[in-house]
Amino acid sequence: MSKYIATRALRGAQAVVKEAEDALNAAMQSPGPDAKIELPMTAYYLPTIYGMLGHKVEKISDLQWVVDYCKTIVSPTPADNLWTPYLGETLDAGMATLFAEEVIEGIGYAKGERPQSKNGYTYNGAIDDVQMRTWGVALVDGRMTGFAAILGRAKNDEVAVKIVRELQAKGQLCFFTGDPNDGGDFITDQLLNQGVELGYDTYTVPLGNNTHSTIYAAGFATRAAISFGGFEPGDARRNLFYNKFRCFAFALALGPIDDLKYATAAGAINYGFPVIADTLIPNISPVGVTQYEHVVSMPFDDIPGANDMERAERLVEKCIEVRGIKLKITKVPIPVSYGAAFEGEVVRRADLRAEMGGKRGMCFEWLSMAGMDEIEDHKIELIGPDLDVAPAGTKTPMAIRVKIAGRKMQIDFEGVLERQIHHFLNGAEGIQHQGQRDISWIRIHNSAVEKGFRITDLGEILYACFKNEYGAIIDKIEMTFYTEEETVAKMMEEARAVYRERNERTAGLTDDSVDLFYSCTLCQSFAPTHVCVINPERVGLCGAYSWLDCKAAYEINPHGGNQPVPKGTCLSEEKGEWEGVNQFVNANTQQAIERFTVYSLMDAPMTTCGCCECVMSILPEANGVMVISRDDYSNSPSGMTFTQLMGIMGGGAQTPGMMGLGKTYISSDKFISFEGGIKRLVWLSKNLKEEFADQLQAAAEKVGVPDLIDKICDGDIAQDSDGMVAFLTEKGHPALSMDPMM
Amino acid sequence: MAVEIPVDKWTGKIRELKFGGGGRKEVIIGGASTLPYLKFEGEPCNPTRVAITIHDCEPPYPPGLLSAWGDVVKDPSEWAKKAVEIGADIICLRLTSAHPETANTGAVEAKATVDKVLSAVDVPLIVLGPGVAEKDNEVLMAVSETAKGQRIALGNCEEKNYKTIAAVAISDGHIAIAKTPLDINLAKQLNVLVSDVGVPMDSIIMDPDTGALGYGIEYGYSINERLRLAALMGDSMCQIPIINHAGPETWRQKEARAAEGVPAEWGSLDERAVIWEELTAIACINSGADLLVMNHPKAVEMIKATIGKLSA
Ligand code: SF4
Repeated sequence: MSKYIATRALRGAQAVVKEAEDALNAAMQSPGPDAKIELPMTAYYLPTIYGMLGHKVEKISDLQWVVDYCKTIVSPTPADNLWTPYLGETLDAGMATLFAEEVIEGIGYAKGERPQSKNGYTYNGAIDDVQMRTWGVALVDGRMTGFAAILGRAKNDEVAVKIVRELQAKGQLCFFTGDPNDGGDFITDQLLNQGVELGYDTYTVPLGNNTHSTIYAAGFATRAAISFGGFEPGDARRNLFYNKFRCFAFALALGPIDDLKYATAAGAINYGFPVIADTLIPNISPVGVTQYEHVVSMPFDDIPGANDMERAERLVEKCIEVRGIKLKITKVPIPVSYGAAFEGEVVRRADLRAEMGGKRGMCFEWLSMAGMDEIEDHKIELIGPDLDVAPAGTKTPMAIRVKIAGRKMQIDFEGVLERQIHHFLNGAEGIQHQGQRDISWIRIHNSAVEKGFRITDLGEILYACFKNEYGAIIDKIEMTFYTEEETVAKMMEEARAVYRERNERTAGLTDDSVDLFYSCTLCQSFAPTHVCVINPERVGLCGAYSWLDCKAAYEINPHGGNQPVPKGTCLSEEKGEWEGVNQFVNANTQQAIERFTVYSLMDAPMTTCGCCECVMSILPEANGVMVISRDDYSNSPSGMTFTQLMGIMGGGAQTPGMMGLGKTYISSDKFISFEGGIKRLVWLSKNLKEEFADQLQAAAEKVGVPDLIDKICDGDIAQDSDGMVAFLTEKGHPALSMDPMM
Repeated sequence: MAVEIPVDKWTGKIRELKFGGGGRKEVIIGGASTLPYLKFEGEPCNPTRVAITIHDCEPPYPPGLLSAWGDVVKDPSEWAKKAVEIGADIICLRLTSAHPETANTGAVEAKATVDKVLSAVDVPLIVLGPGVAEKDNEVLMAVSETAKGQRIALGNCEEKNYKTIAAVAISDGHIAIAKTPLDINLAKQLNVLVSDVGVPMDSIIMDPDTGALGYGIEYGYSINERLRLAALMGDSMCQIPIINHAGPETWRQKEARAAEGVPAEWGSLDERAVIWEELTAIACINSGADLLVMNHPKAVEMIKATIGKLSA
């Protein structure tokens, strides 16, 4: 805690508590101890005092207890020679400040002096029941992203308007207060000067003509928490926690900050509401009471930006970021339609305006993680010629460079996110996207360009989609598109180095190097006793979920179908059996499955749902296993086709000797390692043999049988058992001389 | 030879859920610690309760159902009274007129209707919006406020639109209905989401959806059953009572509507339709429904008799 801030806040608190005491003493004389304190159009007590302390204030004399209590929690200002942390004292002083402000405002109401007005404009004053309910519901259901309490005076009227417009656009409810000390006009006046319509309907609410009136915002937060949090008045702890985690509010202090503002800000911090100032004050960066920084100083004129408007925009962005507010974008702002309906669309040659990548083309996508301060959110740039200058049907070289920053972003998510580009871009009308990394291929329809679609619109699509679907891990996105051949060629090499590095990192990610596996229970809708346990060296059996995908999915939606599965005590290293995995599987299969091994086909293998990419089955006559893929319609040496095999084992059954699997598991080091790994593979669908030729070769070399692949039978060689055995014998397949499988 | 009945030991229990209070009759559902009505496995719980559907405007019911109710369908409070006479434990009011494609009525009308029904009968209420997210939120916010303290149920919270209804349910002390389309994972996830917004676990009822007999009842049956099994095995997020709309589902189907152009063996439409509703409801009970929503007075009578026998 900054000693400077602590000192000023304590001083402010002492002064305002004294002010409350004086006001109370005067009020005891007139209007007298029994004068009623009622907030207009509410059936409630002074909300902050009642909510936090459980103390009901109905008349002037009820305030005495509050003032006495405030005095007990405000400590003296720290002596010059004292350098202890002041957080506790400052927070207490902040609470006392809020109570004292509520006392003063309450007396104001008792005396009929509230709500305040100035130059014929009447402020809102206390939040009434209708406002409380409407705004409270909007905060809970997310129509309102949070609220901003804005104190003081913006650099000028235009900046004031810009700040408020930006906050409105981001769905924030805005409360305004100011003080005669702010030097004449404060934010409410500034907005009124500019003809901004203020009030309940526009979610812009001037509370009063003094800093004290900020208490109405705190009162609103306190009461909303009780109403929607389901706890009792007086339960301060739960109230503060509720606000910290659910009410995305913050205070924005514009202009010079006096003691009372410091003290009020300290009060806000108790609620987990950070304070952002547009003047130079000490930062309080460590997180704790608030989710991120407590106090952030952004001297307005030092904010990077071409002009004041841009600076105002940045300031608001910072507020949103510091409070951890995630925004949803409801409509992708591009000149063509966007939606799932366009995903399968093909752009034919005759309609082709521009093409990136594909045969003899050059196009790649490279997404990487950046530091929070290294990039600027929503900056989308094109370097090189755009679509409208390209003659119809030409090839355009292109680099899509995406940088992502987020407080919960991890380097491991780069690949996961990068792979989404395909799906995201395909949703736009007239845009066709295929592939990924340096084999990506984009085709753009004439009509899209005619409607005004330009390269940066690709960025708009990505921006909206990433923010909406991955908002939990993404705070900022910056994108640059390059279309000059030379630059693209040069960057492509850099990108390839990154892909290689990423491959190596994924390859280095082994089952042994992690403590957690992930589950996937998405298929339980139709296979109730099926759980995929997904480990770094084996994908889910549909092939769609890798360990990293699950990890990211869990960060994004902790209640979804992918849950962490702690391995727990190892029961068998060879079979890959862990206590934690067994427990998880048991608890999540209606206790139908008791044991579950990760590396064995014969002993408690993984269950099979219905959507596996391939099926594996033991072939006792060959002392090995076969793997048939979903797109292989032929018969297999087991005597059954893929569909027939699925009929036996699908639906969530655990069938020793048979198991569904994702394609990439075949070349994994952990491929049924308990039974001897890839050396057991005696028959494989021809299409898999071709698709995974390189990986299979590498796996074969790893186990010391470099010519293994040639010894594996496939559907072109034989689809029956006898034919296969003859082939294996002729080739001398290693499985024939291995230990019996059964 | 004596046959030994195998007895399952369950660790979980369905939460009890209270409707009403605040001057209104209380109805408690849930509490099961065994599969439905297997009294030899554990303590008997609250019997399945029956709610009757009424609408805030004359609904497009087939003639047989319409005439069974008579003129009361023109007035929700009269309809509610008659439903209580017939034996409704709870009234399930559908704000059909709020649908943008019907009368597109709003919050004011919804509030008025609910006030009327609340003062006409003393049993608890379920209020369902027209099923269009925006309108649901608009009318249910008003309904919630006017019924504050009387603990009614508001629905439907669905995956794409649950927060507003959940929020007003919390703030006014009502029950939130979590509705999902025949999917056990979604059912559980929505329970998590709704409780995450802050709805207490004893104020959620789930509608995992069902089909009528011949129209996917087996799906509904299996979803109910699996939710119930998961709950009994200890999954706390599934230990939430189940509501099934057996009546409305039945009356959408041809067997309950068609008198002509169907085989003669199908017999009399009136009789057939009522039996269709009853059988649909029985399947729901057998698979775990704690609260049934019914449509036809005769079917209500039959199902109440069945419940009586099961509980005896
Ligand atoms: S098959 Fe795929 S979607 Fe289904 S549970 Fe496994 S990983 Fe999840």
